[in-house]
Amino acid sequence: MEGFLIFSISVLTLAFVYVILCLALNIECGVAGMWDLGIVSYFGVGAYSYAILVAPAAASYQHYLFGFELNPVFGILLAVTMGGISAYLIGLPSLRLRREYFLITTIAFSEVLRITFSNENWLTNGVAGIYNIEQPLKTFFSPDIYLILLFIVFFVFAIITYFIVSRLSNSTYGLSLKALRENESLAKTARIEPSKQYHSVYVFTGCLAGLSGALYVWLNTLIVPTQFTPNVTFFVWTALIIGGIGNNKGAFLGAIFFVILLETLSFLNLSAELALVISSLRIALVGLALILILRFLPNGLISEKPRFL
Amino acid sequence: MLEVTNINKFYGGVRAVENVSLEVKKGKIIGLIGTNGAGKTTLFNVISGFDKSDNGIVNLSGKDITKLTPSNIAELGLIRTFQTATGFPRLTVLENLLVFSSKNNFNFFNNFLIKQDNSHDLIETAENVLKNFGLLEKKNQWVGDLSAPELKILEFARAIMGDPLIMLLDEPAAGVNPALLENLMSIITELNKNGVTFLIVDHNLRFICEITDYIYVMNDGKLIAEGTPDTIINNELVIQTYIGK
Repeated sequence: MEGFLIFSISVLTLAFVYVILCLALNIECGVAGMWDLGIVSYFGVGAYSYAILVAPAAASYQHYLFGFELNPVFGILLAVTMGGISAYLIGLPSLRLRREYFLITTIAFSEVLRITFSNENWLTNGVAGIYNIEQPLKTFFSPDIYLILLFIVFFVFAIITYFIVSRLSNSTYGLSLKALRENESLAKTARIEPSKQYHSVYVFTGCLAGLSGALYVWLNTLIVPTQFTPNVTFFVWTALIIGGIGNNKGAFLGAIFFVILLETLSFLNLSAELALVISSLRIALVGLALILILRFLPNGLISEKPRFL
Repeated sequence: MLEVTNINKFYGGVRAVENVSLEVKKGKIIGLIGTNGAGKTTLFNVISGFDKSDNGIVNLSGKDITKLTPSNIAELGLIRTFQTATGFPRLTVLENLLVFSSKNNFNFFNNFLIKQDNSHDLIETAENVLKNFGLLEKKNQWVGDLSAPELKILEFARAIMGDPLIMLLDEPAAGVNPALLENLMSIITELNKNGVTFLIVDHNLRFICEITDYIYVMNDGKLIAEGTPDTIINNELVIQTYIGK
């Protein structure tokens, strides 16, 4: 396959991982109004859960105790479950808080987890990370075909997530989340129990972020703690703001637009020196795109629409 | 229907409500008046579960609701409004009504696993309610774009969707022009005829006397008088409290 085609398929495959993260953040933040700056926590938990179950046993120079080399399906299931469980546990203290207090707490937890990933060698192999995590079914296909297969599988995951999140957003449950987002006191008088709704959507977000973490490791075949810095959270937020907070189509498009914007810059055919400069400017250019979107399309590419029209 | 017995609420050293007892009988419209800072809204907050009393008991239809959450209390049919007419700004008028439907099931798993097919019926009901209140043509408008009088009307439309047994209205006449006030009074009377009981807090003595069957008067956290509107407007203590000696 031609280089550009391979690159495009790879970028879009990565974009579908971000689509799932973005949809998860959208139902939590766009629909329920919970300003979460810790979505990377569940992304990381899901990624490590998958890696621990699917990775081979540690080599002599590695320190992690696990590595069960199990079927990736179990890895994905565990990633979803652990994403949900960690969201439930982190939600117990943090969901008592609102707005900026909640935001600060979630970012704090995400840092605690990142530091844990870096330091618990027995579990994560520390900063060295875990390598050579085999991609499922890879031996049955040629690299080109496998690339397309990955693209299709990740697309299917993204589409299924889109339909589930859309169904929930447009349901009575979604309406209750929007009511809480708009006016919590009034929502209580409509028989809506905030703690139940917030906790359930938080766990659901954790499950989806866990799923995207598993897919991310599947795609990359390695895992290191530096993949789970707050940058991921800010990237997902940026993608969501670009796409349009509160609109699932916007979240889907925003993630794809964002990843293309971020990755295309690294594909430009430039001299080594210029490539280095452009690479350093990538984040700045993403910031510029965000400013332009906020200036000219404050509600993002697709703004939130009323449910019944 | 609603019995409030010996409610006390303190904020630090401040007595917001002191030993207040009142009763709201089924099918009646009861008024609660008092000057600013008398403790009326605090009492409302305690009754509707937004504040917890330091002691005392609130009973609704024979059930002790003192320790229940606001949403549990709303589940039992007690719907309240707030001093400033409010809504869900980035939901449409129609959605604002749908949120309040008593047929809603907000459970995550119910909505995740089972597709709810009652939305068409609910929309039809909500549209009928909006039609009765003259808001049908605004059904797809964001509530944040409504005028203040429209918001006041919307409060009642929303409440009807929830099939309330009793409504607690916090200053419904505040900032309302005379024409709208007449409209609100006819809405309250109509709802009352259909079986809704009311407890209304307001400063507007004329409005309260005209619409209520019985009035409680609060001052400085305590009940200072109670009686029919006729007896209240002639009560010396009430006149002193409102107008001064």
